[in-house]
Amino acid sequence: MSDARTAEFLEFVQAGGQVETDDWLPDEYRKRLIKFIEMHGNSELMGVLPERDWILRAPTLQRKLALTAKIQDEVGHCQLIYRVVEDLGKPRAQCLDDLISGKSKFHNVFHYPTKSWGDVGVIAWLVDAAAIISQKALLKCSYAPYARVMKKVCWEESFHILHGRDTVLAMVTGTPEQFELVQEAVTRWWEPLMHFHGTPIAAEEDPMVHWRIKSQGNEDARQQFLDGYVPQIRELGLELPDPKLRRNDEGVWEYTEPDWEKLTAVVTGHGPASQERLAFRRLSRAEVDWVSKAMLPEAA
Amino acid sequence: MTRPRADLLLELADDELILGWRDSEWTGIAPFLEEDVAFSSIAQNEIGHARALYELAARDLGTDADALAFDRPIAEYRCAPLVQLRRLEWARTIARHWLYETADAVRIEALKDSDDVEVAGLAGKIEREETYHRLHAEMWIERLLAAPEGRTRLEEALLELWPYALGVLEGELRETFAARVRERLPFGLPEVEAIPRDRHEPELAELLDEMTIVRRSAPVGAQW
Repeated sequence: MSDARTAEFLEFVQAGGQVETDDWLPDEYRKRLIKFIEMHGNSELMGVLPERDWILRAPTLQRKLALTAKIQDEVGHCQLIYRVVEDLGKPRAQCLDDLISGKSKFHNVFHYPTKSWGDVGVIAWLVDAAAIISQKALLKCSYAPYARVMKKVCWEESFHILHGRDTVLAMVTGTPEQFELVQEAVTRWWEPLMHFHGTPIAAEEDPMVHWRIKSQGNEDARQQFLDGYVPQIRELGLELPDPKLRRNDEGVWEYTEPDWEKLTAVVTGHGPASQERLAFRRLSRAEVDWVSKAMLPEAA
Repeated sequence: MTRPRADLLLELADDELILGWRDSEWTGIAPFLEEDVAFSSIAQNEIGHARALYELAARDLGTDADALAFDRPIAEYRCAPLVQLRRLEWARTIARHWLYETADAVRIEALKDSDDVEVAGLAGKIEREETYHRLHAEMWIERLLAAPEGRTRLEEALLELWPYALGVLEGELRETFAARVRERLPFGLPEVEAIPRDRHEPELAELLDEMTIVRRSAPVGAQW
């Protein structure tokens, strides 16, 4: 960093300082922030789709209410997060355009199909558990407006985990077929969950950590997830599809190295449901396009 | 009131349940994020009302709310054809929303005067949330009427749904409802036959089939 002002900025954020929208921000920082936060917003919105398929199929009134409320929360998070992006200079309409054209990305787990009610429980419990680990670390983000939004997001995600765990518990204590729905879902989601926190890039080499956008390394987040949830999963009598998975004497979780090339392929639009999801988003946006044009003539 | 109370409660509950289920079809894909959140809330409210009504009916019938919502044969569902129609395009969604809320207000007002304290009490509770639904529906009617394309689409939608809407209520209540609708609109609505409540649209069978697909996959009485 040759620029003295940038060096001063870096020193400030690396020491745990937080900046606001109207503070001076280095261009690279702003670009990285937009990309990172926009992907988070995209993920909230795309995360609606796998669960949305089950809104009509919820098996009790209570589950119906809980699932609808959960998905509503995700849409609300998207709204809040896109607003942060908007303040950084990228309008919401542009975010949506880039999302449906495939130019911007969304999280790996939302590129997969959902196959049963077991998936609904496992997503709400374990995908949201993995997500909250990353989101809690973002409470210390150097960009204060994003950190503030994360407070609300984390609060709501913690309810999703409870809803997910409760849904899973009802099934694992139910009929053998219901148990099997959960076991199949856990097996199906394990690889995406191991991919979730990203490659084990060293924190000191991670540009997101450098700018204190993130304060936690990928592997730290994954270890925290494994530590918190593997024992819980096993306690329910469920099996995980990795024979190498174990906590060693130093308290570190060992596991079979995930296929990182597959993760790259998935997040670049080559996941099993990537194109179908984007096509569905394009279609549903085209269907209601007239509404924004008629209601907000300036947006036309 | 000569009809058994449970009959009346089921009619209301089925309307709220099926409309709530239909409204939730917008979750995640509404025209704006703000609207998405709003429509999800409305869906949850309607289903919450259905649950409260089923709970009251279930006490009379010796069963539970979930069994009434999910496990009855289709022939026993009493919901009006208006709410049975699957997710409609946006102007039709708003038209249905506004017609239903207007009809529901007439019905709830009458129920608040019921001699049955439990029914009157529940109607009062439901009314508190429905007030917000009506404000929301009214706001959209205003917005659509103010834009040329919105007005054209809304008018088409109201004409199409009018016979369905009339079928939500009967007798004097229907007259009150029709007068309120006509009074609000800058264009007329024709005199038509109401589509009666006992008619089942093909979409209802499809919806019930999908609604119960998970529930039916385990024996009756299984916990979910």
